[in-house]
Amino acid sequence: MLDIERVRADFPALSRTVHGHPLVFLDSAASSQKPLPVLETMERVYRECYANVHRGIYAFSEEATLAYENARDRVASFINAPVREEIVFTRNTTEAINLVAYTWGRTNIRSGDRILLTEMEHHSNLVPWQLLAQEKGAQLVYLPITDDGLLRMDLLDSLLDERVKLVAVTMMSNVLGTVNPVKEIVCRAHAAGAVVLVDAAQSVPHMPVDVQDLDCDFLAFSGHKMCGPTGIGVLYGKEALLEAMPPFLGGGDMIRKVEWESATWNRLPWKFEAGTPAFVEGIGLGAAVDYLTGIGMEAIAAHERELTAYAMERLSAVPGLTIIGPPASQRGGVVAFTFRGIHPHDVAHMLDMEGIAVRAGHHCAQPLHRRLGLTATVRASFYLYNTAEEVNALTQALERIGALTTSQL
Amino acid sequence: MSTLYSPTILDHYAHPRNWGRLPSPDIVADSDDPSCGDQVHLEIALGPDGKVAQVAFEGEGCMISMASASLFTEHLQGKRVEDLEALTEEEVLGWLDAPIPPNRRACALSPLVALRAGLTAYRRTAGG
Repeated sequence: MLDIERVRADFPALSRTVHGHPLVFLDSAASSQKPLPVLETMERVYRECYANVHRGIYAFSEEATLAYENARDRVASFINAPVREEIVFTRNTTEAINLVAYTWGRTNIRSGDRILLTEMEHHSNLVPWQLLAQEKGAQLVYLPITDDGLLRMDLLDSLLDERVKLVAVTMMSNVLGTVNPVKEIVCRAHAAGAVVLVDAAQSVPHMPVDVQDLDCDFLAFSGHKMCGPTGIGVLYGKEALLEAMPPFLGGGDMIRKVEWESATWNRLPWKFEAGTPAFVEGIGLGAAVDYLTGIGMEAIAAHERELTAYAMERLSAVPGLTIIGPPASQRGGVVAFTFRGIHPHDVAHMLDMEGIAVRAGHHCAQPLHRRLGLTATVRASFYLYNTAEEVNALTQALERIGALTTSQL
Repeated sequence: MSTLYSPTILDHYAHPRNWGRLPSPDIVADSDDPSCGDQVHLEIALGPDGKVAQVAFEGEGCMISMASASLFTEHLQGKRVEDLEALTEEEVLGWLDAPIPPNRRACALSPLVALRAGLTAYRRTAGG
């Protein structure tokens, strides 16, 4: 069980008021709030041992390097990566996926090849593959979803023919909340000879994720959605694949030896980390990993499951509200909905006036919304610091908005 | 509830003025914002004196964009093409008579985006 009051006390932003109301923050799927240990760690680096990492022959630089590389170790153990060389720091999930598309993709995808995606992908796991497919003359194929937002696993094997070289799939949909059977997808894709990339932006922050258990080839996630700072993300890749890939960005740190006409590359993971890295952010991410580990990912996942089930029960009783996606038992802490034909931007704006922060729009998944026959939805998402009282506040505010619009429209 | 959702805005959203299409419009324009789905279709017919004689719109979107488009059609009546071209964002926001926060300006200005596209096309075809 989570001691929710103690957790909330760690997040200074949660004690704010907005438009005269206590903040009810229900947008952690977009980006989470930050706990004190992360804020304090980053401030301490800037105040006490700030110097550029790697190759500095003085104490400050050594301290910063040590802290940064320690953070990599903690991230590796957080997702159970076998070796630290498999953890590449990127800017975010999007950059991690682009890294794979531009390096592994350009080397391995040829004309006539297929890349298998799903209908529920975020633009970040869709557009990089469109760019690659256009460049190479490859084809994108989509595993369909059911009307209630589950993958059509019955169609997977028939789509996994010998032309499919890559399967790129989200572990948890940022709109539907659906938690996908990634381990099974990896197993079947490998049997068909395809490499698998997992978009774990919504899963790593919210549930235990074990890359060895999943056996995925690549896995991408962002620091800012898991209590860490912006500007730092992670690409996990199997060592043999990363070794064989050409570099992504060229510059300092990623090289071993540079001649006038050519260069050789640094060892993993630095081969993929050109230029001064976001090392304070990396250290901040290490602190976030420590914070989440201290609370326990199982406990966080259980708290969110309970809260999501409660939210779906309360929200589905609001007249005119339609929840998108599968039952609570098959989803994480994301609940997207439409409400009485009122445009989601209006709903979100009216909720904001009561201090309730939700997201409205297509949530970077336009094709998915078109598949569902929608332009936009309102999305409430939960994290370790959200409470049943906040779900009540959301429900009651929606009931008030419903009453107001009925009387005035 | 927010002053943004003023009685004027709720009224124009619930009862859009000049809704529909014109038999022979001189200026036809669309705006389409895929980020939120706001769509405004605007039609303007000019009288013999070159001034706006009739305006109509259809659309789909949030309360702010639809109310703004409705108010917009009322304010265009009688204006010359040059007046339409000189129309500023601040004037359009002023017609709404509500504090439009920065993250909703695009909604309120969607009819102006449509008008400007329509005027560009009109000048090109009419050689104006």
